[in-house]
Amino acid sequence: MTKPGLLPSALRVFDFSLGQMLWSRRSIFLALLVGAPVVLAFAVRVVAATTGLPVINGTGLSGPALFGILIWLLFVRFVVPVLGVFYGTALIADEVDDKTITYLFTRPVPRAAVLLGKYLSYLACVTLLVLPSVVVVYFLVVPIGGHIGESFPALAEDLGMLVVGLASYGAVFALVGAWLKRPLIVGLVFAFGWESTVLLIPGYLKRLSVAYYLQALVPHAMPQDSSISLLLQVFQELPSVAVSLSCLAGITVAALWLAGRAIENREYVLEQ
Amino acid sequence: MTVKTRYFVIVSLLVIFVGLGTGLVAYYVGFPTSAFFSHSGPEELRYMPSTAAVVGYVEVREIMASDLRQRLHKIAGSPAQDESKRQFQELTGINFETDIERIVACFDATQVSAGNSGSGVALARGLFDPVKIEALMREHGAVVQDYKGKQLISVDHFGSGNFNSVTPGKIPAGNTSMALTFIEPGLVAFGSTALVQHAIDLHSGGGESAATNEDILSHVRALDGGNVWLIGRVDVLRARAKLPDIVANQLPPITWFSFRGQVDGGLQARLSAEGRDDESANMLRDVIRGFLALARLQTSSKPEFQHFVQSLQLGGSGKTVSLSLDVPSQVFDALGTMMPKRPREQAPR
Repeated sequence: MTKPGLLPSALRVFDFSLGQMLWSRRSIFLALLVGAPVVLAFAVRVVAATTGLPVINGTGLSGPALFGILIWLLFVRFVVPVLGVFYGTALIADEVDDKTITYLFTRPVPRAAVLLGKYLSYLACVTLLVLPSVVVVYFLVVPIGGHIGESFPALAEDLGMLVVGLASYGAVFALVGAWLKRPLIVGLVFAFGWESTVLLIPGYLKRLSVAYYLQALVPHAMPQDSSISLLLQVFQELPSVAVSLSCLAGITVAALWLAGRAIENREYVLEQ
Repeated sequence: MTVKTRYFVIVSLLVIFVGLGTGLVAYYVGFPTSAFFSHSGPEELRYMPSTAAVVGYVEVREIMASDLRQRLHKIAGSPAQDESKRQFQELTGINFETDIERIVACFDATQVSAGNSGSGVALARGLFDPVKIEALMREHGAVVQDYKGKQLISVDHFGSGNFNSVTPGKIPAGNTSMALTFIEPGLVAFGSTALVQHAIDLHSGGGESAATNEDILSHVRALDGGNVWLIGRVDVLRARAKLPDIVANQLPPITWFSFRGQVDGGLQARLSAEGRDDESANMLRDVIRGFLALARLQTSSKPEFQHFVQSLQLGGSGKTVSLSLDVPSQVFDALGTMMPKRPREQAPR
């Protein structure tokens, strides 16, 4: 009997993992995470209809500007990294903790296919939850002092950027999960420590972060909400969109390849 | 994949694609903010040239009947003004307070004539007495001719805007030929002869007009209502004004400007400017922010103006800079108390 190839095996794993991931307890957390911006957008809509748009530092906000702020502060800086950490690190770690990884590894499929299939199901799961949330927020917020037609290119770019960000962060944290023993802690330190700090340091160090390339893809101006944002703008040397996309694709492929190698070579000792 | 998962995937994809599809249609078709509200501007735009650099609109009747206007009349009105209005009504048969529903006007910088860097036309909709108006214009030397089935009443030498000051043989500087016509019952066009004739051409045969100019329409739609508004191309006006370089270089790099006002008990207005690029818009926002801070400082001890100054809100994103304001009627009352009192009219002996 010939062993199935990597891709068909991965698709098979994807098929049963998607349902597992969508209807797991972790998804309640995911639903709250993507539901919160929708609730917030609805509240903003109600406030705008009753008392008018909020004024910040003497500047009135329009719907498109508010949407840009929500994308930056909620999705790019929080939702995407958090989803990457919690789901990416758990791709293999959950199977190890539940002691079910043995059943997967005893199947006549390449071990890397298990990781790839689970990664694809993670990507599908978060994409199918985050993107509709962004679309709903868009239609709730942008018509306040703005036009849905005029801002449509920004929506399309945002959706693309979020998928790329979810893919990159997921791959990086899948590598962390496949390689390390306490992947969640390391993942959180990386996502909220390293990623934020390295952008402030002048020089080439920021190129070792996902956020550096992801920020270049965001179509909205960075909100000047804090001294950190102002500092970021001072030190900001954003790469071009083509360079960012290439680097993010490279990071994703490299991280997945390394994670696949780690799974192939590592011996998972299940705690009794 | 279970049935539950399959349905979830279908619903999610449906939300994404319906959203993207709606956005795409709105982007290409130019959907207004509300899907159920059609706002392509007043129909009079169909009779204005597509090359209009400035277009303005006033809901005359609504503004005349507004509380604010009544207050201003009490503060600043005078018997002399009332007398002028009465004379105007006697001459033309038009009661400015009630007979004119709205006026739409435009300035076309491409219509260059001798001594002028552009021409304009105004279309007024309301109740008019064509016979009276034609008789008045004939008394002042106007000529009536037929142009494509419409009566075109033209005055060749019209410089001051005051019929009484035009004397035959004396042609004031900056003169242009003016005309008036009744395009349809209740709609009068008045302005430069060329543009009035163009309005007649558009009425009879259609063609390119301000109503087919996407730039103008998109800026009109962006105004989103208001009973008085004005949009214009600053770059075109600047080019026609032939300003000295030293002055032209000091002006901010603005392409379009717009003003939208709602006059009722007070005045709510929004002034917008579209910069050449994001950078120039950001610089303009910074300048306006500075002026707003100065205004707040200056009015900190004047409570009657504080509400007005606090209502000034800077907004806009990308290339657009906007300034919104809300002037309540109390501000006008305060202005009224500051104005010099009129001397009491002496009663006839």
